[in-house]
Amino acid sequence: MHELSICQSMLGIVEKTMAEHPNATLRRIFLDIGKGSTVESTLLSEAFEVIVSGGQYEGVELVINDIPIAGRCRTCERDFTYEEFALGCPSCGSTDIEIHSGLELDIKHLEIDED
Amino acid sequence: MPKVDIEKKILSENDLVAIENRRQFADAGLLVFNIISSPGSGKTTLLEATLDRLADKVKILVIEGDVSTERDMDRVRAHGADGIQINTGGGCHLSAKMIRDVLDGLGLDTADLVFIENVGNLICPSTYDLGEDIRMVLLSTAEGDDKPMKYPSIFHEAELAIITKIDLLPYLEFDVEKVGTEISVLNSECEVLKLSALKGEGMDAWIEWIMKRLEMKRAARPAAGE
Ligand SMILES: Nc1nc2c(ncn2[C@@H]2O[C@H](COP(=O)(O)OP(=O)(O)O)[C@@H](O)[C@H]2O)c(=O)[nH]1
Ligand SMILES: [Mg+2]
Ligand SMILES: [Zn+2]
Repeated sequence: MHELSICQSMLGIVEKTMAEHPNATLRRIFLDIGKGSTVESTLLSEAFEVIVSGGQYEGVELVINDIPIAGRCRTCERDFTYEEFALGCPSCGSTDIEIHSGLELDIKHLEIDED
Repeated sequence: MPKVDIEKKILSENDLVAIENRRQFADAGLLVFNIISSPGSGKTTLLEATLDRLADKVKILVIEGDVSTERDMDRVRAHGADGIQINTGGGCHLSAKMIRDVLDGLGLDTADLVFIENVGNLICPSTYDLGEDIRMVLLSTAEGDDKPMKYPSIFHEAELAIITKIDLLPYLEFDVEKVGTEISVLNSECEVLKLSALKGEGMDAWIEWIMKRLEMKRAARPAAGE
């Protein structure tokens, strides 16, 4: 699976960002991961532990905010959220729906100790 | 504790390289497909059948992505394609950078169409933009009709879905209509074609689809001295 390479891309961004704060210590990394994205949060956390162990970011905490799949029904015009993709609007059953969140793979911010 | 804002897509670097690739393809006036499916859905067979019908009309390049071997490249070469094989050595998807690294020397300027056959996998490749014009997904009748909802991401992202191996329908329980409905729920813009690359049924509509898109692409191209 590609959680390993997603994690490496994420750490690439972290390293570039930390280079701008040379005297700081990284504490926590905050991600938004959509439940409808191709990335499994638990696998990503595991990949993270494997990659950082023994390195400069060992002990850093990865905080993953799972974003539910949310959309709007074009028939009854109600908003809805799903835990998983489902067939149609949960209110009226219409299949004419649009999904507007739940596919995120974003790095939001870092928490650092400045010393 | 001090906070450092980032607010970026994790794959922003890949996306930037994909933008460069897309520009390079556009400058060469190319129409580029990124073909995604499970292993064995019929990607290479579809390319072979497509080459047989188009290779004497338009110049086609193929970029083959596989974990290992040159087998698929050998197959499409035998049907008149030029191109290159990328081996990911275990990697489950192609990335924009892997594509960029093979573009020099491919002869983009003399080509019309590029087909990128991604690594056989229905999950990971859907996350990586390669710079293609058309992301398409193949689903073979032999895989079962429950796949769109099981692998929503690729169907959500694809512009075209092709149901392959329809010659096998008499032997299978595969509800073509149900698959069409599930795809349209996930992505109401996604077009759906049905074909058998092996027997030829539905191939004409696919070839027409390609030629229509190629004309649209050419019409949109900024005048390049002709
Ligand atoms: N019956 C039937 N078999 C097909 C069709 N297309 C491909 N196949 C077979 O499916 C197998 C895998 O095809 P291949 O093109 O290598 O799949 P890929 O892994 O997606 O590139 C081969 O044995 C093909 O002959 C089709 O339209 N009908
Ligand atoms: Mg193949
Ligand atoms: Zn509704």
